[in-house]
Amino acid sequence: MGPDIVWYLAVATFLFCTGALGVLIRRSPLIVLLSLEIMLNGANLALIAFSRHYAQGDGQIFALTVMAVAASEVVVGLGLIVAIARKKLDLDVDKLSTLRG
Amino acid sequence: MIPAAWTCLLSPLAAALLITLAGTRISRRGAAYLATASVFVSFVAAVVSFAGLLGDSPKQRYHASTLWSWLTAGQLDFGLRIVVDPLSIFMMLVVSGVGMLIVAYSIGYMEGDDEERRYFAYMALFVFSMLLLVQAGNLLILLVGWGLVGLSSYLLIGFWHERPAAIAAAKKAFVMNAIGDATMALALFMLIQRTGSLNFEDVFAQTDQLGGSWAVNLIALGLLGGAVAKSAQLPLHTWLPDAMEGPTPVSALIHAATMVTAGVYLIVRTAPLFEQAPRVLELAAGLGAITLVMAGLIALVQTDIKRVIAYSTMSQIGYMFMAVGLGAFANGEFHLLTHAFFKALLFMAAGLVIHALAGEQDIRKMGGLRRLMPFTFVAFVVGTLSLTGIPPFSGFFSKDSILAAALDHGWYGQLLWIAGMAGTFLTGLYASRLFFIVFWGEPSPFVREHLMASSHAHAREGHASHNGHETHEHAGEGPFSMTATVGLLTVLAAIGGFLQFAEVWTPVSDWLAQVAPPLVEATGVQEAISSVLAVLLGLAGLGIGWSIYGARTSEAPRVAWLQTLLERKFYFDELYDAAFYRPSVWVAHALGRWIERPLVFGSVRELSEGLRELGLGTGRLQTGLVRTYALAIAASLAVVTVVFVAVR
Repeated sequence: MGPDIVWYLAVATFLFCTGALGVLIRRSPLIVLLSLEIMLNGANLALIAFSRHYAQGDGQIFALTVMAVAASEVVVGLGLIVAIARKKLDLDVDKLSTLRG
Repeated sequence: MIPAAWTCLLSPLAAALLITLAGTRISRRGAAYLATASVFVSFVAAVVSFAGLLGDSPKQRYHASTLWSWLTAGQLDFGLRIVVDPLSIFMMLVVSGVGMLIVAYSIGYMEGDDEERRYFAYMALFVFSMLLLVQAGNLLILLVGWGLVGLSSYLLIGFWHERPAAIAAAKKAFVMNAIGDATMALALFMLIQRTGSLNFEDVFAQTDQLGGSWAVNLIALGLLGGAVAKSAQLPLHTWLPDAMEGPTPVSALIHAATMVTAGVYLIVRTAPLFEQAPRVLELAAGLGAITLVMAGLIALVQTDIKRVIAYSTMSQIGYMFMAVGLGAFANGEFHLLTHAFFKALLFMAAGLVIHALAGEQDIRKMGGLRRLMPFTFVAFVVGTLSLTGIPPFSGFFSKDSILAAALDHGWYGQLLWIAGMAGTFLTGLYASRLFFIVFWGEPSPFVREHLMASSHAHAREGHASHNGHETHEHAGEGPFSMTATVGLLTVLAAIGGFLQFAEVWTPVSDWLAQVAPPLVEATGVQEAISSVLAVLLGLAGLGIGWSIYGARTSEAPRVAWLQTLLERKFYFDELYDAAFYRPSVWVAHALGRWIERPLVFGSVRELSEGLRELGLGTGRLQTGLVRTYALAIAASLAVVTVVFVAVR
């Protein structure tokens, strides 16, 4: 047995909060995407930790699914960023506010 | 016999569909001949069925045939069902026989009209509907036929749809009839509830249990409502005179010979029901009596040749209602038959006059047609004498036995008898007025201009001129199709009465006795008294008419208020206008002003304003900044988590 599950959860929480903080305070879409990935990985770590803790495979399978989602999300996100760059717009999420009500 | 009956029913429908579907691929004349041929086929099939029925013993003259189940609802099952019995055969023969003559007459009358095909399709549709009505094997199919004749009547009254008056008349007829249809439908619902069936024999088998209850009275009243509306009796009569806006053959077929007598047929058909509601039957007789006197009075002052005959029709149907109301069902049906002959004859003779005078219908412009149109003159003489009930013409035989039946019905019957006698006098008066004004004396300037000058013009130019409807002129009195059919009907109106001579020779009554046994039996003395008095009164009416309008030896008495009252048709139109039309218009305006605008429109406006405000408010939350959204999500998640933990 490795370290207690609390440790894993602490790391996962740390990762998740780091990511969330990044999403909230950074303005470059590239960094925002990166922070999102960190959040997802934090969640993944928690899933796998619980999976080990309860000795059941469900959490690991779910983590795989999350990875697949993350990969496709990156595809879309990077595509958008490339499109924005092509239009020679600023890479700043705050300036992309056309949907303001 | 059953296949023949179906052929009789479906042949005009086939013609109507064929003409409609063929469109312009069929010539106008082709459509006319097709329609005539289809009704002829119907007539032949009716005769074949009649012959088949004659072969049965009287007790077994009842054949029903169901094609398929038409409507099923729970326990109820209504088939597409026809019945062949003495009554339906009788009506089939009248409808298809007279119908055939009138459709044939239309070939000449409608020639040159722009929409002949439509006309003949409608005519065939009408004949089909009427046959469906009289052949129906249950009350539901009868109601379908009832509605369909109303529809075809509507279509044909409004046939000349560029005339606003024709459209208005068509709508009026439809609405008035719809009232009757509604009461009839209500009666049928009650019947279903009480007896669980609408097949004639099933319903009649259960009428004894209904006997005397308020339900049977209500049912009879509902059926009577339908009959009154269709037959233009008081108080739903105002549509019939206006219906004269349609082409004259339509007036002859629908508004004289067949459809308007459907009410009489309905009462005879449902006689076992009505017998359980004697008060309602007496009401029918009373309405008939009032109508026959009132319509006779109005006919005295009308100036439109067709309207005079229309009021006469109302009056004669009043006699039929009186007859069936008194329980003299066969007499009513016999009068229906002779009336179909002589009234169709009068209408078609009037059609010849109108045709010759380029569509003119005002009798004040006519006069002296006797020498210019000798054939029409003879036809009109026969029609008039038959209408007035002068022997040996057909009206005499049928009308007098109705009056005799009235004498056999207590004090109420005697009251009706007096009304009927007054009606006979009025009939003589208005019939002779019409006849002498149109045919007697010297030709009026208008007639001279049309009949004498136009024949010269016709000879010079060698073709008919078209300047509107009904306006092509001919040498002679009309094309062969018109004169031949009028000639045939003249013969029928002259001798048709000999079918039955009460007390001596009663094949019609015997034939129908199986379906609707009479409730009254007039004695020979009553027959004799009624006949003699009716003939004398009719002759008196004719004589007074002759002295005023023929010989012009005496003046018609003029009472200003009475004349206005009659010219206004007893103010029925005005009354209905004030009682129904104006209040509903007022209510509609009031609702629009006080309810719709402030409440409906207002609330919609309020609602939309409120929603707009709300939307603008919510819109402000949408900053368009991704990071605020993320923060909102994170914050709400945090709140939810805290709440969950706290609640645990």
